[in-house]
Amino acid sequence: MTILNGASFCVRRAAITTIIGPNGAGKSTVFKTIFGLLRARTGQIRFDGNDITNAGPRRLLEAGICYVPQGRNIFPELSVRHNLELGAVAAKRGLDVAARIEAAMDRFPMLRRKSNNQASTLSGGEQKLLEIARGLLLDPKLVLIDEPSIGLSPLMVRETFDILQDLRARGVSVLMVEQNAKSALGISDDGIVLELGRTRMTGAAAALLNDPKVGQLFLGGASGAEPAGATP
Amino acid sequence: MQSFIQLFVSGLATGAIYALAAVGFTLIWQTSQTINFAQGEFVMLPAFFVLAAMDIFGLAFPAACFVGLAASMLVLGVLFKRGIVDFMLPHGVLPLVISTIALSLLLKESVKTFYSSQAQPFPPLTSDIDINILGAIVSVQSVFVLGAAIAAIAALHLFLGHTGVGRQMQATAQNPAVAVLLGIPTKRMIMYTFVINAGLVGLASILISPIYLAKFTNGDSLGLAAFVAAIVGGFNQVRGAIVGGLVLGVFENLSAAYLSSSYRGAFPMILLVLVILFRPQGLLGRVEERTV
Repeated sequence: MTILNGASFCVRRAAITTIIGPNGAGKSTVFKTIFGLLRARTGQIRFDGNDITNAGPRRLLEAGICYVPQGRNIFPELSVRHNLELGAVAAKRGLDVAARIEAAMDRFPMLRRKSNNQASTLSGGEQKLLEIARGLLLDPKLVLIDEPSIGLSPLMVRETFDILQDLRARGVSVLMVEQNAKSALGISDDGIVLELGRTRMTGAAAALLNDPKVGQLFLGGASGAEPAGATP
Repeated sequence: MQSFIQLFVSGLATGAIYALAAVGFTLIWQTSQTINFAQGEFVMLPAFFVLAAMDIFGLAFPAACFVGLAASMLVLGVLFKRGIVDFMLPHGVLPLVISTIALSLLLKESVKTFYSSQAQPFPPLTSDIDINILGAIVSVQSVFVLGAAIAAIAALHLFLGHTGVGRQMQATAQNPAVAVLLGIPTKRMIMYTFVINAGLVGLASILISPIYLAKFTNGDSLGLAAFVAAIVGGFNQVRGAIVGGLVLGVFENLSAAYLSSSYRGAFPMILLVLVILFRPQGLLGRVEERTV
């Protein structure tokens, strides 16, 4: 089955780009295709000028891309520390993994506090932090993050978004899919509207937020002039 | 009391063999949803590899044991994975189960046809003497079997928990989709579990054959015992399989001695039914979450 057909967009360096669109638009499929989990039959994906179409996860990790999928992505019966260490499987030879883990624990003190606990004992928000910390272990240049806010408390959502903004400040590019489109666009530089596997609109996040058409279709009508569902 | 200790130790020794087979059984279940109904035959066969290495190639017993273990890892590990599991697993768990049942018949009948239908004597691993522990007479053989099995499981435990590759294997078992995203070579990790399983059953075979003799039907009872041990302990836990194996071995021995020896074969089933009724996840198992 063809899911994506006419999905074309760029992600700028050191910017947060959010993909929005209705259910079934193919948002998660975009990520899976970029990360080589699904094959692209045609088209091309380029990263830093290199063709990475249909490259496997290992090569993408080495190139500096990490992918944090939606839902729970930990190894429940391993300790927090061991979960974190597995983020360095694709590390280049000679990388000081222990130092990276120390740095990650300095950045997220919760991980140090609970480093010997089984990962399954963490709360949903803590698990998400662990996943993000694990993804950042190899200093990626591009972070693909799918629905980071799902199932998290508002406080944790804010913390997650803070991390993404912090990444941007350090020159990392972030590509995010987020159900909670309004707050996601709020912290984003660019936005992409995806519908039925096709890019409908791209542009500055602020412009999309204020676009009445986008507002009606995807943002619950809040920023549009008419209530949602009024247009056929 | 003396006879109790004696029975207890020999039960532990038998149980340790069950545990080896059960641990391998749960390992390959965890990483690749393979329920291996040929596991009993997997314990039966390596002894014949050893005997063949001695008879056909004229090797000394210790060398033949190494050859037998290596052949076991190749045939029951790599070939089993590549030749059967890889083909059948994409069609679902049930077709694979049926394939392993077919494999068990094939292995059994092949040994009968190409080697012998008679029980073959197998060289002893230790001298046939007894030692005195707390006034009880315990055979050195039992103690050796128990020690070797404990050493093998301890080594496995260290490998899984304290090496990078071991943890990558655990990660593959616990969350294969995410393991792939982190660049873990999950296919290779799954292959390792099959090779480890083959090594464990190979060891179990070499340990048990001096006691039971090498016979093509040995797998019937051993396969059942490994299956029961895995369920009693908790299908999804390696340590559950160890406990399940030991509990089963001791329970079987004691109940045969004190209750009824003619019902020896029934007691494991009673234990199985009780566990399924009152603790379906097994003694140490965790309840598996299922998405419906």
